[in-house]
Amino acid sequence: MERRDTTRILRGLLGPAAPEVGCDTCFEELDRFVELELAGEDAEAAIPGLRAHLEGCPACREEHVSLLALAAGEQR
Amino acid sequence: MSTVTLRGVEAGASEAAVTARQLQDDESRAWLRDLRADGAVRDDALARLHELLVRAARFEVARRRVTLPHLRGDELDDIALEAADDALMSVLRRLDDFRGLSRFSTWAYKFALLEAAVKLRKRAWQGREIPLEPEAWNLFASARLAPDTEAELAELLGAVERGIAEALTPHQRRVLVALAVDGVPIDVLADRLGSTRGALYKTLHDARRKLRAQLAERGIALEEWLEES
Repeated sequence: MERRDTTRILRGLLGPAAPEVGCDTCFEELDRFVELELAGEDAEAAIPGLRAHLEGCPACREEHVSLLALAAGEQR
Repeated sequence: MSTVTLRGVEAGASEAAVTARQLQDDESRAWLRDLRADGAVRDDALARLHELLVRAARFEVARRRVTLPHLRGDELDDIALEAADDALMSVLRRLDDFRGLSRFSTWAYKFALLEAAVKLRKRAWQGREIPLEPEAWNLFASARLAPDTEAELAELLGAVERGIAEALTPHQRRVLVALAVDGVPIDVLADRLGSTRGALYKTLHDARRKLRAQLAERGIALEEWLEES
């Protein structure tokens, strides 16, 4: 097992150390979070725990990446 | 003098932000007004909203198509259209929940992205067996550690295995291993267990807290191993 595989499994097993919101709150706030990020504002300060959730939840992370890319395209 | 200039810059930036915000609010208000109207105005708004949702669903399908190489282009487009239809229902059902804290289009997009992502993850796992027996797993069974693997790592992996076996309930163990080791998508697992994504994430979260606490009690330092190499 490579070191990076060990790290990946351990991160998945142990999750983020910081307090985090759940999937439902993440979905509720994701659009606002993404727009704050695109505006260069401190999204994590506005919605504490969402960044940590994205670290811990692969499904929400994928949806965040998509929404960020889609909304960024709209703004161009 | 510099204070005056700074104030001028701040005022300019603030005016621009207010203008952008106003445009955004106007656009969102127009969406809400038209979707709540009757007749042709509403029909037109629904058609525009559906178009917007199809665009988002197709975007998601295009991003993920490498994970579904066996699906033809028309099958993928059917998934995108079905996702957009379902998202349209969700958006209309939840219209009163829109708080105007983002653009309406960004708020609506997330419903289409969610529907498309869930459908594609389920399709990718269709027919695949998910090992759910807690006894059936052996976390690092396939791990052939390199000969020069540090003793520290072997100790850590052993402690993690013991922590999972001893500190967690069978349900927590099943959920943690399926999601974090076997890589089962959370909505696929929720479907198989008759649960919800939110409930399973709560289980995962509690299991992780317990595991971290158990490792901390044993004096195992984790942070070094959790950093990206």
